[in-house]
Amino acid sequence: MSLNEAPKFVRADGPDKVTGSGRYTADMNMTGQLVAKFRYADVAHARVTKIDVSAAKATPGVLAVLTAADVPDLRYSPVVPDRTLFVKDVVRFEGEIVAAVAAVNAATAQAAVDSIVFEYDGLPVVTDLEAALADGSPIVHEGWESYGVSGDTVQRPNVASFSSIEKGDIRAGLAAADHVITSRYVADASHALPIEPRAVLAQWEGNKVTIWTSTQVPFDARNGVCETLQMPSSRVRIIVPHLGGGFGGKCGFHFEAHIAALARASKRPVKLVFSRREEFLAPDRRREGMIVDITTGVTNDGTITAREGWIAIDNGAYTADAAFFPQLAAMHVAGPYVSPNVFVESSLVYTNHQPSGSVRAPTAPQACWALESHTDEIARTIGMDPVDFRRKNTVDEGLEGPAAQVYGEIGLRRCLETAVANSAYGSQLPENEAVGVAVGWWPSFPGPSGAYIKVDADGSGQIITGAQECGTGSVMTLRYLAAEELGMEPEDFELVYQDTSAAPYDTGATGSQTLLNNGRAVIEGAREVAAQLRDVAADQLEAAAGDIVLADGFAHVSGSPDRNVSIVELAGIAAEGEMLIGKGSGTPPDYPTVSATCVGDQGVAGWAGPQFSCHAVRVRLDRDTGVVRVLEISAAHDSGTIINPIAAHGQVEGGITMGIGQALSEGTVYGDDAKQRNAGLLEYKLQTAADAPLVTTEFIEIPDPNAGPRGAKGLAEAPNVPTAAAIANAVAQLIGEPVRQLPMTPERVWAVSEGSSS
Amino acid sequence: MSFTIAATVEEAVEAMANGARPIAGGTDLVVGARHGKSALPDDLVAIDRLAELAEIGPGPGGHRVGALVTHAQLMIDPFIVENYTALADAAALVGSPSTRNVGTLGGNVMNASPAMDTGAPLLVFGATARVAGPGGERTVPLDELWTGPGTTSAAANELLIALNLPMPSDRCGSAYVRLEYRRAMEIAVVGAAAGVTLAEDGTVASASVALSAVAPTIVAVAGTDALNGLALADAAATAAELASDQASPISDLRASDSYRRHCVGVMAKRAVDAACRRAAGESISVPVNRALGIGAA
Repeated sequence: MSLNEAPKFVRADGPDKVTGSGRYTADMNMTGQLVAKFRYADVAHARVTKIDVSAAKATPGVLAVLTAADVPDLRYSPVVPDRTLFVKDVVRFEGEIVAAVAAVNAATAQAAVDSIVFEYDGLPVVTDLEAALADGSPIVHEGWESYGVSGDTVQRPNVASFSSIEKGDIRAGLAAADHVITSRYVADASHALPIEPRAVLAQWEGNKVTIWTSTQVPFDARNGVCETLQMPSSRVRIIVPHLGGGFGGKCGFHFEAHIAALARASKRPVKLVFSRREEFLAPDRRREGMIVDITTGVTNDGTITAREGWIAIDNGAYTADAAFFPQLAAMHVAGPYVSPNVFVESSLVYTNHQPSGSVRAPTAPQACWALESHTDEIARTIGMDPVDFRRKNTVDEGLEGPAAQVYGEIGLRRCLETAVANSAYGSQLPENEAVGVAVGWWPSFPGPSGAYIKVDADGSGQIITGAQECGTGSVMTLRYLAAEELGMEPEDFELVYQDTSAAPYDTGATGSQTLLNNGRAVIEGAREVAAQLRDVAADQLEAAAGDIVLADGFAHVSGSPDRNVSIVELAGIAAEGEMLIGKGSGTPPDYPTVSATCVGDQGVAGWAGPQFSCHAVRVRLDRDTGVVRVLEISAAHDSGTIINPIAAHGQVEGGITMGIGQALSEGTVYGDDAKQRNAGLLEYKLQTAADAPLVTTEFIEIPDPNAGPRGAKGLAEAPNVPTAAAIANAVAQLIGEPVRQLPMTPERVWAVSEGSSS
Repeated sequence: MSFTIAATVEEAVEAMANGARPIAGGTDLVVGARHGKSALPDDLVAIDRLAELAEIGPGPGGHRVGALVTHAQLMIDPFIVENYTALADAAALVGSPSTRNVGTLGGNVMNASPAMDTGAPLLVFGATARVAGPGGERTVPLDELWTGPGTTSAAANELLIALNLPMPSDRCGSAYVRLEYRRAMEIAVVGAAAGVTLAEDGTVASASVALSAVAPTIVAVAGTDALNGLALADAAATAAELASDQASPISDLRASDSYRRHCVGVMAKRAVDAACRRAAGESISVPVNRALGIGAA
């Protein structure tokens, strides 16, 4: 569908956001509200010898000071419970919270924070992933064996989660190859960097707390508060005002419990608003640094015989949601290629860095960058066109992926052909320009989700949904789905969302899952209301309910459009008796089982609704300085059926822009003390609007029967996957060899190009 | 704590003598405070209403650019673009459109960052600073004004009121280029300005080159006489060598010293190249970075 033919949505939240009338968490204020500030450890690894908050407590205007002693003594986090709300005995990264203060204003709170005595004995920092894995390395978590991990999680010293994927016989496969190519790639950590720094406001009434918070996952936030403060979910209500972006950085449970505990202790509403620096340092959500070693065996005709990988992922100090990262990274390092023999080992390594967590397509951009750079190295080695090599070896219908999943109809090869055809690949270019090509993939994530639909007496509809809007617009698309079922207009529906006490559960704005799962719930709920409307209409029109058609705001008898009654009138009638109320949840699609041997299985080797993509990127290199400019990007994506093309194009363009940043300019720089050196927008370089290239996007729409509404798969994360890889392949063409570090900063590009020309 | 709105230069100087810091666009002062670089001063004197400081016009021995002239004005002012093109090149690269709309030339000069964009062009033009104090006005050469990163020789009660620019000669041209990693909200990694006058045969008659972000202050390149008599390509190559040799860059988050040393030579070469071409009558639009695809362009 072309953009011109696409259904036109005016986003329900658009006018509020554009005109400034929308309210974000930081805009909320309550009578008697206090300001919260945290005392951070500001040291990456240390044994605590003294925490004295007596001066802070005695500061006039301070109404609460909390430390680990004031909250339940327990560790939390899904899968690997290794975290506490406050520092207890050992500090493991610089952003850990020693104490929290609530005071009448910011200056008083800061003075109290500064008066806290915090003494410690420094411990050697663990920063290098390979050194952390070596015998004799300092251990980040002494006592890790007692943490009580869940599921099939495999742990080792300084390894929070280990996974491997094994298929066939890797030794035999490599022995059968004419060429064996080995590469190492190293990616720096980076940040999600939503423009809105996070904010939390908590208020108690009796034994219940309401928390307004800038989270992507309200139900996870609620679960975190319930777990850490030992409360039932019925007494914790999470409300999310408008959210100023997240990109994964606001997934998980962060600071809601600290602020709720401060509000309880001070008997006042308490608000936290992060500075930009805190937004860099404190959250346990950054994109993980990674080392990738890949070895591939190929025959002279370009057939892959074996692929071996070794991956070390920088977990940072705590595991957050990252236990599945090793298995997911292994899937991306093996990649969407057919290989009879696969062996990939992948470790999530504890260090004294900020914890890693799900940032848009976690592990994928870095792993894809490594794999696809390696793929071009293979093609160069055997003298084959890199696009031809992908034509020959990528997965397709009926073929088997690295974990032995056999695919149905998928669009990877069509993505490859389309993106390449829409680019300048193969045409004559100036000597300082090149087109690089990379393919990528990403799963969809089926899960439970719920919604209520009601139509009130005046014919106005409401969708009360657990889904969360983080800017993608997918919640906005729910109005369209409900309207289609009911013969109404999207504008007839109001969205009631982001309130855990109003709506049934949804996973939240995470895993590109809103349309996939909540779309299913909304359609099912709308169908209940549609059946109710047909019953009322059948009475009014003296026809069988099964013959009633809902369209264009009316119910009419099938075949007799003149025998009709308006939905507004039907809603008025229903309001006097059996009301129009529907509920939906539906059965999530199945996850396919796979036959490869998966040690440390975290459930991400068999992919439901697999998405595929190809980016072809034209870059210009300033050879004297190493500065790379991305001129244009041709993108093709198989995310199944596209329901809202305007929003879908926006997701691709945004994901690509984020990918350019990861490719060229965004990377955390650590000092020898394991502290971030560029925790600010001046020295951590995001791409700006002025840097954005021309993006041409085509969707390869293959409805997936085992995915979301009308065969839609997820989308929001996938566009972030292959951009850096495609840029890398263009740069490698221009300077003769790959830049093996991410981001590929001008100085790194220049250094490689100097090295290869001398 | 006080906030004074000055109606005259005298009022501003008086407030400064009482400890107030001047504020015009606030793009360094306010942003610096929010970054935690230094707290906002307790006492401020707003100088943004001193209309006579916002003018571009004739001045002693040449032209006078008021301290309150904004970057947005400089980058499009036809007189500046025609005669002091490097200054327009530099102004067009500062920050973002909003920074350029409120940020002033005087603020950029007195903030005295070694990475400032307008400094190298001003040095190349031989500009002098006109400062007003309790005892009246005085003129200070820029290489005497800038004493280190963020420091000047002006007293705390002296207000920069204008930059005086000598008259341009015939067959002259200028350009400022910088290494940048993105196209907006950027600070020069290194930069170079060049001012060139050509002889009738098209060779260089005289040249001056100044560098950004390779020393504690903006610095002039010594020995540019070596460019005299050279054709464009040789002049540019010579400037590159002089610039790289004379730079004393540091390593920081933006770049290593060795990369800066290399790149400042590249920038000097490109600045001399563009200045010579402009002097020869070629039209290269402002800023050179965008016109010639330099850096992130």
